[in-house]
Amino acid sequence: MNLVVQTLADGLVLGGIYALAAVGFSLIFGVLHVINLSHGILVLLGAYLALILSTSLRIDPLLTMPAVMAVLFVVGYAYQRLLIQRAVDRSPLGSMLLTFGVALMLQNTMIWVFSPDMKSITPGYALASFKLGAISFDAVRVSCLLASLVMLCCLAALLKFSALGRVIRATAQQTLAARLCGVNVRHVYALTFAVSAAFAGASGIVIGIILPFSPADEGTWTLNAFVVVVLGGVGSPAGALIGGLLLGMVSTLTAQYIGPSFPNVTMFLLLVLLLLVRPQGLLGNAFAPSR
Amino acid sequence: MTQKPAAFVAVILGCAVVLALAPLVLPPFYVRVGQLMLYSAGLAVAWTILGGFAGYASFGHAAFIGVGAFAAGLAEERLAGLPPALLLPIGMLVGGLACAILSAVVAYPILRLRGTFFAIAMLGVCHVCAELNNNIDALQGSLGLNFPAVAPAAWDPAVFFYELYLAAGVVVFLIAWQIQRSRFGAGLLSIREDEDTARMLGVPTERYKRIAFVASAVLTGLLGVIYAHSLGYITTDSVYRDDTNLSLIVYSLLGGMGTLFGPVIGAFTLVFITQVVLARLLDFHLFATGLLLVLLVLAAPGGVLGFVKSWRQRRRAAATAPAE
Amino acid sequence: MSAAPILRVEALSKRFRGLLAISDVSFAVEPGSITSVIGPNGAGKSTLFNLVTGYLAPTNGTVSFKERPITGLATNRIAELGVARAFQIARPFRDLSVAENVRIGALFGKAGARDVAATTANALALAGMAHLATEPASVLTVGQLRHLEVARAIATRADLLLADEPCAGLNPTETAAMIDVLRRIRASGVTVVLVEHDMPSVMEVSDRVLVLDAGRLIADGAPAEVSKNPQVIAAYLGTPD
Repeated sequence: MNLVVQTLADGLVLGGIYALAAVGFSLIFGVLHVINLSHGILVLLGAYLALILSTSLRIDPLLTMPAVMAVLFVVGYAYQRLLIQRAVDRSPLGSMLLTFGVALMLQNTMIWVFSPDMKSITPGYALASFKLGAISFDAVRVSCLLASLVMLCCLAALLKFSALGRVIRATAQQTLAARLCGVNVRHVYALTFAVSAAFAGASGIVIGIILPFSPADEGTWTLNAFVVVVLGGVGSPAGALIGGLLLGMVSTLTAQYIGPSFPNVTMFLLLVLLLLVRPQGLLGNAFAPSR
Repeated sequence: MTQKPAAFVAVILGCAVVLALAPLVLPPFYVRVGQLMLYSAGLAVAWTILGGFAGYASFGHAAFIGVGAFAAGLAEERLAGLPPALLLPIGMLVGGLACAILSAVVAYPILRLRGTFFAIAMLGVCHVCAELNNNIDALQGSLGLNFPAVAPAAWDPAVFFYELYLAAGVVVFLIAWQIQRSRFGAGLLSIREDEDTARMLGVPTERYKRIAFVASAVLTGLLGVIYAHSLGYITTDSVYRDDTNLSLIVYSLLGGMGTLFGPVIGAFTLVFITQVVLARLLDFHLFATGLLLVLLVLAAPGGVLGFVKSWRQRRRAAATAPAE
Repeated sequence: MSAAPILRVEALSKRFRGLLAISDVSFAVEPGSITSVIGPNGAGKSTLFNLVTGYLAPTNGTVSFKERPITGLATNRIAELGVARAFQIARPFRDLSVAENVRIGALFGKAGARDVAATTANALALAGMAHLATEPASVLTVGQLRHLEVARAIATRADLLLADEPCAGLNPTETAAMIDVLRRIRASGVTVVLVEHDMPSVMEVSDRVLVLDAGRLIADGAPAEVSKNPQVIAAYLGTPD
């Protein structure tokens, strides 16, 4: 019984991280209809930046979040304006391959700069833990889960209440109408990408604290984001949260009860099954034009 | 469309004869590069039957290389007493059959997905096959599998496999060509252009997609069987490769998506660039491949053939403009 | 009713979640006729076409073609029996030429022996597209795309053509040309069912008019009588309070 609850608790923590790591991917997918295969690279970029900042400034890695997000915001904006915009209007395969090419280049660059070795971010309270009943929580995981949930709520609020959020939603639902109303669509696309990159960076910090990371992981994080979006639905933080929790639970339960060597089998069976039953994901497309 | 079939076949066979004689003058390094070029071109054409003709770009065709290779290897291991000249055909039969069964079963659910979802789901199929192959002991994925030496004693194995890849490549190419010019090919083309409209015009889209999928998978699997023999020893990692999954898309994209010659041009070019031009820059490999992809998408979205076509159109437009 | 109807729709209903888009609609179409389906926006005209061509499955009711039930058949099977459709928003195969577009229709469509080249040429001529045969579909005007839709549809050698607003957005000259094409198609032995907004062209070309309003069939008859029907006038102009 305890084992079950402990496994579920671990799945919850992992799921929160998956959700945060996927939410930016989901946003771009929903608004620009681009599969950003360099998403995992942006996540790792956040992790490496946090590692550098927290060790050089000797501060808690979670405190580097504003700086990391600001850097990635700028990077994301420029990336969209300079490269992706040129491929957006062509076939979906075009933008997919473009982002994949960028991912390969940056992965190679990261290997030169940071070495191919595993790195990890260790905050001061790395070894602290507490018990809730019979279930043990370590401080790191709890703080990371909380950070993930807070960030997801921030993004949800941003999309729902801010002027930027309104413009993003309007552009996603009716691109032409938004353009006719004087919205600079390219600017909005770039801002969306910037927001997405910033949240990818934030998730990178959290991931770096909980798991070791290396440049070769970028593919895994992109793939996870894709699975989360397919499971939960496109475009919304709530969809990402549901998809992330589902994926987190499934992977911890699989590792615990079926065997650690079959993570992909269950993940992809779940994915294909859900695609067949509900191609729109559990929550559907947040930006689907209403009819 | 107006080409004479007999003349076309004659030209292709003529090119094949020239290529077949090439190992007589090529140094050993280039024979190995030639092997890889022909193997890649064969795979690219097999891929394009589904990805180029029907527009269902698969991101997981390495699944069929792996399944074909392992099915053949396990069968040949049990028949080890037979002469090597028999083992290769038997292996190809078993490998092809395994891919036919797998693809026919997978086709039903997976071909309901479109575009990116299909591509990524195929990647999933590849990973699932690899994981099962690796973790089920009887399939010997992690232990590895030895293949018998099938090259006749008088032949240099490198040359033997070069010629084998060439023969297989020509067969795959001619099959794809026959498909492209048939009613079936026209149906696949209409599916790529607009599947709903195609169905409305009476194209049996579901059946056609399944046939294209199985044909593409079986041809890929047969090439995988030859590949495994040329390696001599395989593990899961040496056949279920994600870089293969990617390359197959890039070949068509580089040469010209949906065309017959595009994948061949793309495979020859890319293999030459990576194996010869970049051979000494191993640290650069990922970066160079990535840069190539980026430039390709930005500068020549129609691939080499698309680029040539638009250049010709522009020239023709420039030539006729003053007359008007 | 002299000959057996080519198309028979019986008690057809389609529900989307709460909305009843088609409600208990029954009618029959005589072979060799031109029938128009009219009605205000959202009356369910396109849904009706989607149900007949198998693009959507009905909630209730049956559709028969040449007295053979086709409800629940796949779209391509229905096309093989001889039902073709031209979309309102043209959906050409953009990477192909006009002739190649029409050729796909000639290669597939109604089952049986075929001479693809001749069928393609006939369809192009019938739709007045022969001079555009080698043009890429991507450069055609809206009016030309409509003709391409019709040409591709009749190239399937269908016995029944469902044309979804073939005149919408066309200028008077183009409309006249399209009406002319529809008449020629009927003369070649194909039964035509139109969805149309443009009342003058409906009145001019139709043998019979069906009026849908909010998913229900409210009138059915010759153009002249339908246009005097008070229910129809109310549906189009609103009921005076």
